[in-house]
Amino acid sequence: MEPKPKRSILLKGLIASTALVVTSLAAAAEEVTVGVLVPLTGELGEFGKIVAGGVELGANEINAAGGTSCGNIRLVVADTGGNPEVGIREASKMIESENAVAVLGPTSGVMVALVDLAKRTKTVIMSPYAGTITLNELGGDFVYRTVSSDLGDGAASGLWLKERGYKSVAFLVQNEESTISPAQVARTTLEDAGIELTDFIVYNPGQPSYQAELISVLANEPDAIYLAGGQESGVTVIKEATSGGFEGEWLFTADLAVPEIFDAAGADLLNGRAYVEFADADNSLPEYKAFEALHQEKAGGDPGPFAANSYDMIKLVALSLEASGVCSGEGINSVIRDVSDGGETVSSFAEGKAALAEGKDINYEGASGPLVFDPSGTVAGAYTIQKAEGGEWVNEKFYPASAFE
Amino acid sequence: MNFEQLLLTVLTYGCLYSVMTVCLNLQYARGGMINFGTVAYFAAGAYAYAIFTQEPPQGLDQYLFGFNAPWWIGFIAAGVASLLFAVITGWPTLRLRGEYLALTTFAFAEVLHSFLLNERRIGNGSVGLSNVDRPDFSVIGLSENYAFVLAAVLLLILTSLLCRRILASPYGRAVDAVRNDEVAAEAIGKDVHRLRFEIFVISAIPIGFAGALYAMITTLVSPDLFTAEVTFFVWIALVLGGEHTIKGVILGTLALVTFEEVVRSLHFETVRAAEIAASVEHMMTGVIFVMILRWQPFTRFATRGREA
Repeated sequence: MEPKPKRSILLKGLIASTALVVTSLAAAAEEVTVGVLVPLTGELGEFGKIVAGGVELGANEINAAGGTSCGNIRLVVADTGGNPEVGIREASKMIESENAVAVLGPTSGVMVALVDLAKRTKTVIMSPYAGTITLNELGGDFVYRTVSSDLGDGAASGLWLKERGYKSVAFLVQNEESTISPAQVARTTLEDAGIELTDFIVYNPGQPSYQAELISVLANEPDAIYLAGGQESGVTVIKEATSGGFEGEWLFTADLAVPEIFDAAGADLLNGRAYVEFADADNSLPEYKAFEALHQEKAGGDPGPFAANSYDMIKLVALSLEASGVCSGEGINSVIRDVSDGGETVSSFAEGKAALAEGKDINYEGASGPLVFDPSGTVAGAYTIQKAEGGEWVNEKFYPASAFE
Repeated sequence: MNFEQLLLTVLTYGCLYSVMTVCLNLQYARGGMINFGTVAYFAAGAYAYAIFTQEPPQGLDQYLFGFNAPWWIGFIAAGVASLLFAVITGWPTLRLRGEYLALTTFAFAEVLHSFLLNERRIGNGSVGLSNVDRPDFSVIGLSENYAFVLAAVLLLILTSLLCRRILASPYGRAVDAVRNDEVAAEAIGKDVHRLRFEIFVISAIPIGFAGALYAMITTLVSPDLFTAEVTFFVWIALVLGGEHTIKGVILGTLALVTFEEVVRSLHFETVRAAEIAASVEHMMTGVIFVMILRWQPFTRFATRGREA
């Protein structure tokens, strides 16, 4: 019976939130906005934080070096939770309301959903980890990535399985686009090499047991099992296959390239017979070492997966703004391929800025390796094979991008 | 914050989701059927649109059908697909009541989701169909943003009019009678099963159209987009808006979308701030839900005229 006070509570809430919005909008002039659109929550939340951190690290360095000719880099960060619809809504706001010239960091699904928006609004979108093969067809103009396509992972896995000299291999692949596409490439490599493919099983994750899938795999006694699965399903598969009598070797994909796997699955089951393949920056490059040192100093700790690729994205954007002299997505798009291909080699923003000021053509060598974009806007990748030894992953083989030419 | 942009987003998605809430209102509040599989009809529409307008498969595509048809054929196909799915699922399940129907419809939606995920020949499996065709709005001289707002608003108005017309007619009173007392309705000669089935099927059609519009806006259909989360979103909107009135449920949905958008329109310049905000958003959502359910502002607003 007392509607007045209630309404005033709602009203106060509204005023307070409006005030909050208004204050957050008081942005300074002479800045160029770059959107960071990552999953901070949800399944890929941990990766998103690493990516956003990498971009932030790069942006701070650029601003410390005096910023671009368009002004200092201002980041606007938003969480997608990995949902493409949220991604579209957030990206639209970044572009339309915040005048972002580029949107960095979307995951595969979001990236695919943004292709149309990017081309329509002439805004550059770039991802450091979207390996999806869909972008092999859609990418190129305004759509870039500083990571290689999933197909590269498949090629590296196939190469390793071939070189290792197995006679027969079984494939166990989780039902996700990111695992199926590389598996298909690896499968083709094996078929071409005349290696027997005993099984190619696509399974759905989230099951309490994978015995049904393993029956035929184990009956065929392959020399090795290629397991492309998440941590949850992967661990169960490893345990069940071993208890089912599997004595061959394993090749895992990136999701299992974490130390936790030794605790979860048991180091005894893996030591000496498990390998893992993943896209990796060439750690021996001076650019990577410099980035690693910077990360240690500013963020503390070693850089996580894709941190170097993320750091490179913002550098590319800043150098493209500098090189084109046009403060827009179109400006970036027109020169982004040139700043990382041909010309004087530079490895930091300050160096690049100075070289550009002298009218030189530059070639930005990234922390994650060379950043030469192919027609689909994708860089060539390098891959590492690690071996399980003494309860940890140790380097076994490194395939530089040139290994696949 | 750019208010124009905010308004456009709220109207586009708000109206799109409102179409579903209004249809759900027809099924639940008037027809007495608990449908926990709303997303399935939405997905059926979106996939039908994409499949009809998509170019034939090439390269790495795994789907079998792409008819490269104009958008309006795809749009009609979306309504038909949703209708057919409602017939297939409604016919065997509508004998069930209450929570049994809720569980069955939920199960059907999960089956469709799993089918789309695993049967790669329909919609490319987990990859989905990308770059979905959009109508060319330049012929009517509107920018795409405005055109989609207009389309969503129009679809909502038509859906609301259809629902109002149905419910205000003698047919609507028969539906109400069935909900209130099936035995009594049957005693006076109403075919209970038929009425329930018809309402179920009719209300699925606009959801299919909404699905097609959604596919045009996102330019992507993939199983990830059509999870039970959509169903729950629509149900929450229905509960917030207060069932029974069309105005109320639309207000509830618009309020929910507005809230989401306002929270998200606060942009953060550091990663840490964005991380905190992402977590706080969920807590705030809960508090606001409790507030709305306690004071029911939308229900009051929608029924104000009637009480007077």
